Amino acid sequence: MSLAGDISAGAPRIHLSQDMRQLIYRLLAAGLLCLALSLASEAFLTANNILNVLRQASLLFFLASGLTLVILTGGLDLSVGANIGLSACLAATVIKATGSPVLGTLTGLAAGCMVGICNGLMVAKLRIPSFIATYGMLWVLHGVTYYYMGGETIHGFPPGFRQIGSGYFLGIPIPVYLMVGFLVAGTLFAQRTVWGQQIYAIGANPLAARLTGIPVDRRLILVYAFSGAMAGVASIVFLARLNSAEGDIGEAMTLPAIAAVLIGGASLFGGVGTVFGTFVGALILTLVLNGMNLLAVNASWQPLVTGVIVIFAVWLDMHGRKKA
Amino acid sequence: MSKLKLLAAALLATATVAGGAQAADETIAVFTKNQTNPYFQTVRVGAEVAAKSMGAKVVHYIPTKPDSIPEQLSQIEDVIIKKPSAIVFVPVDYKAMVPGVEQINEAKIPVVNVTDRSAGGKFLAFVGADDYSLGLETGRFLLKEMGGKGNVVILEGVKGSLTNIDRVRGFNDAIKENKDVKLLASQPGNYQRLQGLQVMENLMQSHPQIDGVLAANDAMAIGAIEALDGANRKAKVVGINGTKEAVDAIKTGKLLATGDYNGFVQGCIGTMVAIRALRNETIVGEVVLKPTVVNSTNYQPYDVPLEARTCPSWDQAASMATKAPTKTN
Repeated sequence: MSLAGDISAGAPRIHLSQDMRQLIYRLLAAGLLCLALSLASEAFLTANNILNVLRQASLLFFLASGLTLVILTGGLDLSVGANIGLSACLAATVIKATGSPVLGTLTGLAAGCMVGICNGLMVAKLRIPSFIATYGMLWVLHGVTYYYMGGETIHGFPPGFRQIGSGYFLGIPIPVYLMVGFLVAGTLFAQRTVWGQQIYAIGANPLAARLTGIPVDRRLILVYAFSGAMAGVASIVFLARLNSAEGDIGEAMTLPAIAAVLIGGASLFGGVGTVFGTFVGALILTLVLNGMNLLAVNASWQPLVTGVIVIFAVWLDMHGRKKA
Repeated sequence: MSKLKLLAAALLATATVAGGAQAADETIAVFTKNQTNPYFQTVRVGAEVAAKSMGAKVVHYIPTKPDSIPEQLSQIEDVIIKKPSAIVFVPVDYKAMVPGVEQINEAKIPVVNVTDRSAGGKFLAFVGADDYSLGLETGRFLLKEMGGKGNVVILEGVKGSLTNIDRVRGFNDAIKENKDVKLLASQPGNYQRLQGLQVMENLMQSHPQIDGVLAANDAMAIGAIEALDGANRKAKVVGINGTKEAVDAIKTGKLLATGDYNGFVQGCIGTMVAIRALRNETIVGEVVLKPTVVNSTNYQPYDVPLEARTCPSWDQAASMATKAPTKTN
């Protein structure tokens, strides 16, 4: 698998067809889950619930899509959850202070992006392993955010701004449009641009990538900046949806985001994975929660059910890939 | 060199004089669980207000990683070296911190237990609230407002946490008292705002008519309200903790009520007991505060910044005592 990935890293066309086959198996897991749920609960297969699931998946997808690029390079960004917390709190402060959602949004995005660039510099320039660099960043961000907020919450934002998170256009929630937008943009970037292909190449073989003249450091900084910026996007949508910011909002989101990327077929060793796969991964995780709520699974059993389904989904995917 | 010694001697002299003159020199170390839950902020401010009014100083010890057992243990080691006059202690885990409390006992630093009752160790007093009656009273208030009939859902906190078990048991017992109230679902939102919102969105898919929501904390309650608003549906929602955000939501009519855990008063009384014990004044052995269900008729005292609130007087605090102090000295 990794060998095939290495060779195809430079050639977009092979990548796509290989991904296509893999995607079918990945979608199969999501499809089976949907089938089981629609048999078990009447409420599942309704237009309302599908839109509901997509909207819920969007936050996780924003976070996981940027992370996908980092994981493609063989790195990891553990700071995304903490980044959401800081970016959301700063954006909320600016909106409250200036009354301008535009300034607030820009602040949130800039803060997220800046954190990402710091991560990128630590990884690319200081050569600190990404796990450690971003784990350290996680603590720094938590520290700053908790100190800044002092256990308070900031709430109540203008209705116009809140449309980003809770509004509809033609009956479809705004976050779903944003998700589709980032899904298409992310896929095109990763599959069809030189930079995207260079990112795959770095993950497949960093030394070879360097030797072939790819500016590895700059690309690394770029992917961490993307990851940070997407955490910024997630923080804005979060604010607009929840109408409230507190320090620990992203804490419970880091692991699910990493899980979404890996369930989506990416490899922690780098070079393998797609943004669309991550979308499917986020969808599976969201479907599990949705299904358990619809079926009113006992709270005590929910962690167990989640674990079993995640493992089963990945097993099915790997099994299918071996056959393909 | 000699100048330095002189200076040190002078400092020492003033220190002993000040110490002999009591007050201002008493330092109370306040241990809380984390910096993220607004509840503990109310405990900390309560402690500060009480200490200030009695002329003592407060030093806070808060784990940087929320609810971290190793971190609180190392903070205890730290504090034993620094030797504050007394400690007001919220254990991050009521069982795991017992060895830490025993270390404090060995160091002979007087300590008051606040909020979560420690499973062991010696304390001057325990000051806390009762999660079960908090859940029960808040639940009863909601069901009464619903006219004793309708469909309700419960949003549970973190499965396995003490507070959640007792609050949810209180909710369930309140529901059992009303034959015409139907519990549609009881699902976990892990005390998280986002999960409160998403679980509520999901429950609305399978239940076309939900009249009441019992959330085990305010963050989930507010999340559920956002979900209801987003779907243009109405339900009466209650939460627990009495946070500022919840009070604001009560003012605007979005939230029906929040059960107040009285963190501020707990911080006040805990600190008052500690300082009074240092001054050899009478103390109490246990205060378990009665729950207050904050709603549109009684929210005014909660609608002021924490720092501006006042602690109960000692007589009031003493009248709430549920146990006399155990004789240790």
